Amino acid sequence: MGNIILSLDGISKSFPGVKALNEVSFEIEEGTVHALVGENGAGKSTLIKILAGIYQPDAGTVTFDGEKVSFRTPYESQCRGISVVHQEMKLSETLSVAENIFLGNLMYKGIRVDWKGMRKKAKELLNQLGTNLDVNEPVANYSIAQKQMIEICKAINHKCRLLIMDEPSATLTEKEQKTMFEIVRKLRANGVTIIYISHRLEEIFDLADNVTVLRDGQHINTLPVSEVDRHTLISMMVGRELVNEYPKEKFEFGETVLEVKNLNRRGVLKDISFSVRKGEIVGIAGLVGSGRTELARALLGIDKIDSGEVLLYGKPIKHNNFRDAIKNGFGLVPESRKTQGVVQLLSVRRNICMVSMDKLAKLCFISNKLEKKYSNEYVEKLDIATPSVETEVQYLSGGNQQKVVIAKWLMKNSDIIVLDEPTRGIDVGSKSEIYLLINDLIRQGKVVIMISSELPEILGMSDKILVMHEGELKGELTREEATQERILEMCV
Amino acid sequence: MKAEAVQTNKTGHFLGGISRLTKNYAVVLAIFILAVIFSLASPYFLTYSNLRNIIQQSTTIAIVVIGQAMIVTTANFDLSLGQNVCVTSCVLAWLIKFGGVNPWVAILITLVVGTSVGVFNGVLVSYGKIPAFIVTLGSQMIARGFAKIITQASPIPGMPEEIQFFGRGVIGSSEYGIPISIVIMIGLYVLIMLIMHYTKFGRSLYAIGGGEEAAYFAGINVKKYKAITFTVAGLLCAVSSVILVTRLDSAALTNGYLYEFDAMIACIIGGISLTGGKGTVLQGLFGAIFLTLFFNGMTMLNVDPFVQDVIKGFVLIGAVVIDVFRNKR
Repeated sequence: MGNIILSLDGISKSFPGVKALNEVSFEIEEGTVHALVGENGAGKSTLIKILAGIYQPDAGTVTFDGEKVSFRTPYESQCRGISVVHQEMKLSETLSVAENIFLGNLMYKGIRVDWKGMRKKAKELLNQLGTNLDVNEPVANYSIAQKQMIEICKAINHKCRLLIMDEPSATLTEKEQKTMFEIVRKLRANGVTIIYISHRLEEIFDLADNVTVLRDGQHINTLPVSEVDRHTLISMMVGRELVNEYPKEKFEFGETVLEVKNLNRRGVLKDISFSVRKGEIVGIAGLVGSGRTELARALLGIDKIDSGEVLLYGKPIKHNNFRDAIKNGFGLVPESRKTQGVVQLLSVRRNICMVSMDKLAKLCFISNKLEKKYSNEYVEKLDIATPSVETEVQYLSGGNQQKVVIAKWLMKNSDIIVLDEPTRGIDVGSKSEIYLLINDLIRQGKVVIMISSELPEILGMSDKILVMHEGELKGELTREEATQERILEMCV
Repeated sequence: MKAEAVQTNKTGHFLGGISRLTKNYAVVLAIFILAVIFSLASPYFLTYSNLRNIIQQSTTIAIVVIGQAMIVTTANFDLSLGQNVCVTSCVLAWLIKFGGVNPWVAILITLVVGTSVGVFNGVLVSYGKIPAFIVTLGSQMIARGFAKIITQASPIPGMPEEIQFFGRGVIGSSEYGIPISIVIMIGLYVLIMLIMHYTKFGRSLYAIGGGEEAAYFAGINVKKYKAITFTVAGLLCAVSSVILVTRLDSAALTNGYLYEFDAMIACIIGGISLTGGKGTVLQGLFGAIFLTLFFNGMTMLNVDPFVQDVIKGFVLIGAVVIDVFRNKR
C-alpha cells in the first residue's frame, strides 16, 4: 500500500427528501488513478462537490494528506491542491488560453501583470501535456477536447495534487479520448492522484488502478481494478445481476419502409443512400463530426437538402421543416436530452403529450382528463419512475427523462424513430431498460435508426450498421459482419 | 427509495397544495395586507366606490399585463407596450376629432394600428432573430415619435358620447353597478386564461419558455407562436387605449407612460418567472391590482408623487430579487 492521500470517514450528506450520501468511507492512494462508479443518483456528484468545497458534509471527516480538512469554499479546496475538471467546462470563452489558465492566479512582475511570463508558462504546461495550442487564441475557437486540456492545465498550474475528472470522455471522439488517456497517465507518473468518474466501464479497466463503487449513497466496495471483471462491477453498481447488457431481440424483416437515395447537402453530406426495412434497427456509427446528426437533421427536414430523394413506402416525400417530418410519421429522440429532449420545467404529463396536443383537443380545447389518462398509461407502460405525472421532468433521473422523450413519440404513434445518442449520460441499469424499449418499438412494427458514439451499443443492438466519415457513407455492415475493429477502420 | 418518494408525496399532498398556493399567489396575501393597512389609515379606503375605483383604474394596465405575461411566458419581453398604448390613444382621438371618422371605424383602425406594432415586433424578434430588447426599444421610440407628430405634443380632449361607455359606463346603478371596463377586462382574462391553459397555442408558449429547443424538437412552430404573442400584446394595447382615452376623455403623450414597466413589475410581483415557462396570466392581474392599490394608497396618504416613482423603482428591483431567489431553490 502506498501513501494514503485522501481518506473519507463516515461522510453523510442529506438534501430535503434524499439521503445523498450515507456514511461513506474509503481511502485513495497517492499517485493512482482511482475510478468512482455508480448509477445516476448514487452520490458521485455529491461526493465530488464535498471535496471541491461546494457542499459541506453533515457528518464524517475528510483527511487530506494526513490532515483533517473541511472546505467551506472551492477556493479553500483549490489552495490545498484539489482541482476539479467539470463535465461542463468552466472557462471564460472570450479570454485567451493563457488568460484562462492563469485566471484567479495571475503572475506578477513587481506590480505589473507578467503577461509574457504567463504566456511562456502556459505554453510549457500545454507542451507538457503534449498539445500545441496557441495560447493567445480565445478559448471559444477550440473544440471541447481542447478546452478540456486547458482545464487540466489550469488544474496543474494550481499545483494540483488531487485532480477530479467528472466524465471527461463523455463528449470526446475516439482519438481525443486516447490523447486524454495519455495525459492522465502522464499526470499519474508525475505523482498526481486522479479521481476518475465515468459511465464507460471500458475506460475504467483501461485506465484506473482502483475502483470505488457507490450505490444509493452507500459505499459498496473499493478494490483494485485487477481483481474485478466487468460483469461483477456492473452487478455491484446496479445491485442485481444484469444478465444481458444488450438484450437484442431478433425480428423478421419485412418490407422496405424508408429509402434514401443520393442525399446531398453541400459541405455536410455527400451522396448518402441506404434503406430501412420493417423490424430492423439501423445503427449509424462514426466519429463525432462525421455527419451522423447532420444526416438525421436532413432526413427530418430540420436542415435543407440540396439534392437527393427520400422514399417512404416507395412514395417520394419531402420535408420542408421538422413539422412535416412529424406528420409523415417520423420522430426524433435528440442528442441533448436535457435541452432538446424535454422541457425541464414542465410536468411529465405535459412533456409526454407535447407532440400530440392536436389529438387531445376537443374543439381546440385540450382535455386534461385525456392527457392524464394517456400519460399515466405511458408512465406505466414504460415503467417511468416518477412520483406522479404532474412531477416536473427536471426532478427525474436521466434514464427516466429519456423514457419520457420516447413516450412522447409513442403517444404520437410515430413509425420511424430516430434516436441520437439515446443512452448518453445514462447509467448502466437504465441503459438496458432503454434497449428493451427499443425492442418494444420494433415489436410494434416501427423502424429505428440509432446514432451512437458507443460502439458496443451499436454492435449490440443494430441489425445493420452504417459507418460515416466526413459526411460520406463509408460502408454498410450486417450484424454478423460487424466487429469493433472493422467499424473503427472505416471511421478513420 | 422510489416507494419512499411516492409516500412522502402523498402525505404532503394537502400541505403541498397550500404551500403551492401561497407560493404562487403570495401577491394575494400582499394585497390583503396592504388593504388592511390602508383601511386602518383612512376610513374612505374600504368603501365600495373606492375599491371599485381602484380596480377600474387598474383595468388599462391590467389589459396590457395580459400581453406582457404571454410574452414573458416565452422568456421574452416587450418594451414598446406603453408607447403602443400612447400612439393608439392618439390615433383614436385624432381620427375622431380631426379626421372626422366615425368613432366605431376609428376604434377599428386603432385596433389595427396596435396590432401592426405587435406584428412588427413579433416578426423581427422571431423571424428576424433580433433581440427583443433592441426591437421593442426601437418600436417604442417609433411609436412615441408618431404620437408626437399626430398630437403636436398637445392633448386632444373631448370624446364623443357614443363611445364614452368604454371608459366610464357602468352596468347597473351608477353607485353600485359594475363598470364596463372591468367587465371587458375580466372577459379578456377569462378568454386568455382558457387559451393559455387549454389550447395547443397556450401550452406551447409554456414549452417555448421552458426550453425553446425542446419545444422545437416536439414539432412546435416556435417562431410563429412567438410572433403571435407580440401581435396579441399589440392588439391588447389598443384595447387598453380605447378604455383609457374614453375614461380620461382625452389623448395625450402621457397616456400609457411607463406601462411596459408597470406591466413587467406586475408580472414579476404576481409571480410570473422572468426566465419563462412558469406562471399564469391571473398572477399578472393580481400583480397589477397590487400595484394600483399600492400607489392609490400612497396618494391617499399624501405621499409625494415624485417619491412614489422612487418607491416604484425599489418595488421592481425587490420583485426581481424575489424572483431570483424563488428560482434558486
